[in-house]
Amino acid sequence: MNWLRTFFRRNGTPLAIFLLCSVLFWMFMMIILPQLFMVDFSLRANVPPPQWGTDTHSYTLEHYKYIVYGSSTSTDQFNTLDMGVFLRTLVAAIFVTLIDLILCYPIAYYLAHVARGGWGRLMVLSLIVPFWINEILRAFSFKVLFGTTGIINNFLVGIGFLDQPYDFIRNDIALWAGLTYAYILLMIFPIYNSVESLDRNQIDAARDLGSPWWRIHWRVVIPHAKPGISSGCTMVFMLTAGALAAPSILGGPSSLWFTQIIYQGFNQASNWARGSAYAIILLLTCIVFVLVVMKVFKVRLGEIAR
Amino acid sequence: MTSDHIRKMFTLLFVAGFFLFLFGPLITMGLTAFNSSEFPRVTPWECFTVEWFDVLRQDQRLMQGIKTSFFIGIGVVFVAVPLGLAGALLLTQVPDRTRPWYYTILISPILVPGVVLGISTLIFWDRMGQMFFGDSVFYNGYFLTILGQSTFISAYTMLIFIARLQRFDPALEEAALDLGATHVQTFRKVLLPFLKPAIGSAAVLAFLASFENYNTTVFTVVSEATLTTVLVSKVRYGINPSISALAVVIILITLIGACYYELVKRRELRAIDNAKRVAGGGASVVQRRFFAEPAAWLILLVFVVGLGTAFVAGTTGVDECKVEVKEQKRVQTEARIKALNERRAKEEASAENDSVSPAEPRTRAKGTENFNSIFQKDNLEGQMDSSKSDESSDKPARKGTENFNSMFDQGNLQGEESEAETRPEPEPKSRKGTENFNNIFDPGNLNQPDAK
Repeated sequence: MNWLRTFFRRNGTPLAIFLLCSVLFWMFMMIILPQLFMVDFSLRANVPPPQWGTDTHSYTLEHYKYIVYGSSTSTDQFNTLDMGVFLRTLVAAIFVTLIDLILCYPIAYYLAHVARGGWGRLMVLSLIVPFWINEILRAFSFKVLFGTTGIINNFLVGIGFLDQPYDFIRNDIALWAGLTYAYILLMIFPIYNSVESLDRNQIDAARDLGSPWWRIHWRVVIPHAKPGISSGCTMVFMLTAGALAAPSILGGPSSLWFTQIIYQGFNQASNWARGSAYAIILLLTCIVFVLVVMKVFKVRLGEIAR
Repeated sequence: MTSDHIRKMFTLLFVAGFFLFLFGPLITMGLTAFNSSEFPRVTPWECFTVEWFDVLRQDQRLMQGIKTSFFIGIGVVFVAVPLGLAGALLLTQVPDRTRPWYYTILISPILVPGVVLGISTLIFWDRMGQMFFGDSVFYNGYFLTILGQSTFISAYTMLIFIARLQRFDPALEEAALDLGATHVQTFRKVLLPFLKPAIGSAAVLAFLASFENYNTTVFTVVSEATLTTVLVSKVRYGINPSISALAVVIILITLIGACYYELVKRRELRAIDNAKRVAGGGASVVQRRFFAEPAAWLILLVFVVGLGTAFVAGTTGVDECKVEVKEQKRVQTEARIKALNERRAKEEASAENDSVSPAEPRTRAKGTENFNSIFQKDNLEGQMDSSKSDESSDKPARKGTENFNSMFDQGNLQGEESEAETRPEPEPKSRKGTENFNNIFDPGNLNQPDAK
């Protein structure tokens, strides 16, 4: 109460009301309550909307059981399909994150400390261009590139490396490449920003003291870039695991992404409750990943989300 | 010294490879927008054309999607900018103990998958409607999408405002209050002008983020369709190069934006230099107006000339070229049908041979051998073997297979493409294309089955 009185005196009544109302609306009506409602919803039976909140809309764990055991009518003991998709999505997301990190760290270092002047700035500026191209169009460009009559297949067949076109899309290579590409800039910018703030004298000092280049990176540059690296890894992992457009465009006919199963729950199967149960599993996975990253890199959440 | 050179080389190669990876797909996609082929591809190149931009313009669903996306984007700007501003202003004033919680909660939507945000928004508002009105009153694509997207876009704008507010001097506010300004006046005359650049960039960012969002939108958009949802359904079920044309338009807009940004930045730097010089007692250099900037004109000129050239080259001679390509394709398919018919005729003939003279196993074996091997890779060598046994009857057969082989030959097609790319004159192309197929009517070729 005391705080509220000071708050109103400090901002004046109109501004104070505006600030409080908008922040409370954002915090509760847009962030906290929707999430809680989703959790509540996933714990209830799947009934049509008019019966929501009535007795038939009872609490049940069936949707969470479904991902482990599958439907009661199937003969399999476990729901290998959904769990397999889940694990494959996780593994793919982790690999994509690692590939992006390996690709981006040298580039970020190069842009921040080796390339200087107008040329360097032009390169940084040119990074922005692919960033503003729609994610869907970027996935589309990979479909064009990796198609059976795409330029890569034509080239490989042309030089005699392959006898006949290789189906990159069916074998998920196009998907992996597309995902690596889609979020690469969310890896490079945080690392670039943190590496750039490193004082060049520290690198020179380490070199003068006889440190080889790899130890300079290991002991000087990487520790300094840690917030950027953890931020980049988190963003890339989240977006890859939660990607929906790229997998539905680039994924082969037989491969699914976990988000696609969620989407099916909402559109084709029209089982919203199961869809939200799966969405919560995805959310929990992402929270665990953030916590692990925070623990491993010893950074705070504020440093990641920047 | 040498190891240093090698490392430098390696670094340059890596950087070049990285940028190739970054721009290669976009350039390829851009090129497909100008190829007249129905399927977006660069090879085989058919005709240079700008017709796909016309197809794009006439695509009703896509245009409607862009319109919807535009309105949703405007809505998101009007929700997310005030919310982000309020969040940033309140951050400095909440009690120290609750601040980390406050910050974590407001920032968390950035780290939550977009799919989850869309689902939670959809379920929450639907249930609110059921609870209070007994009806799905909030089940509206615009309403849900604007709210769903603003959940995380407000966090982006808040970060922009926080960064700007860190450089704000609170003494300015106190001075205004001391001098008798009301709180509202201080906010409007001191704080808002200071935040103006941040408001601008937050609005642009919010609009762009909304415009290209898919994961949240696809759940909240209900019966409407935004640009992204239309695009995904288009790309999934049958694609044509008009999508590449859209990409070209977006790339051009981005490039112009990047150039503009760079120019503005340079002007700012020059203005700072100028101010320093004036402060040091030097003469002031009058800053030119933006459109008197030679660089701006140069960029504009390059764009206009480039677009003009593309338009002229993409509209003249396209029809002739297309007719040419069509003719070529027709001849090709005709030849293929001919070959097929011929093969069938030969098979029939050999079957007849079978029934008429089963006592001649040698001929029959030879006949089937020839036709089967038409599509075999190493049929030429196989033919050599048989030619050893019987020279006189084998010669025409070899000639026949040779012709069919070269029709499906890779090198054959590629030769044509490279020619088409460098020299768009139609004559040599068509001559080369028909050359092979003319030989089909070679008398020796047709006579072959009767030779037996």
